Amino acid sequence: MKFLDKLKNYIKISGVAPISRRYFVMNAFDGATTVLGVVVGAYVAGIPNELWVIWSGFGATLAMGLSGFAGSYMAEEAEGAKRLNSLERSMLIGLKDSVVGKASHFASLWAAIIGGGAPALTGGVCLIPFLLSTKGLFSISLAVQLSVALALSIMFLLGVILGRISSRNMLLHGVKMLLVGLILTVIFFALKLS
Amino acid sequence: MLRLYGRRSKMIRRLVLDVLKPHKPNVVELSEALSHLQGVEGVNIIINEIDQQVENAKVIVAGISISFEEVKKKLEELGATIHSIDEVAAGKRIVEEVMTPQDSSARM
Repeated sequence: MKFLDKLKNYIKISGVAPISRRYFVMNAFDGATTVLGVVVGAYVAGIPNELWVIWSGFGATLAMGLSGFAGSYMAEEAEGAKRLNSLERSMLIGLKDSVVGKASHFASLWAAIIGGGAPALTGGVCLIPFLLSTKGLFSISLAVQLSVALALSIMFLLGVILGRISSRNMLLHGVKMLLVGLILTVIFFALKLS
Repeated sequence: MLRLYGRRSKMIRRLVLDVLKPHKPNVVELSEALSHLQGVEGVNIIINEIDQQVENAKVIVAGISISFEEVKKKLEELGATIHSIDEVAAGKRIVEEVMTPQDSSARM
């Protein structure tokens, strides 16, 4: 409990909460969109088997997770160091060992966990139907439909979250995000028809 | 030092400090942290000046046996720094500042 209080305090001091929210929505959207692209693309190309989609999707998810983690960490670490240096100049003392310095370091790590975890989570969720398909629970075409439905639902939910954060119409924001996914799906299916 | 003065070294009853601190942690968190120190019975923090990144505060700590080192350590842990020690009251009872005729003539 004390450890959690400490983490909450670091989040409050560093002001990383809005930044991590942004990273979460942006990267989770990326994760869902990429796996949606892999799934629909594979379907249009004619999937040989579920494992093809699972490994392609897993590769893309892992790459996005690592890229999100490293990118967010580097960006936040640089921003944090800049803020801390500026504060140290105003205070005329070193702050690295103080709660402010520790919070700044924690903020980089927290942003990295969110930035890397969000695409891995949403991408992973979209691949679940294919994992179940390997166990014989669904046919491949049903797995494709379920995966597309999951990706679109995630996009809608992310829009709802954005609407809630901005205290605006949650449904409208959900639909806006959903449109992006729908556009991608329609493009791929139009390509298959042509 | 501790041996030389014995119990007297922890007979500080009131400390008035001029402190420079970042905006976060805020004064509520700072006062809570100080009030949990051993020997501290009450804390009062007044913000004197607010700058873009830092703020200047008057920190008053009252108690029966305040450890200045502990107060200083806690403040530094929270990213604050003591600019000056403006008042110290120590001993068996708190002696308040008294006005003398010289003080009033100096103000005239």
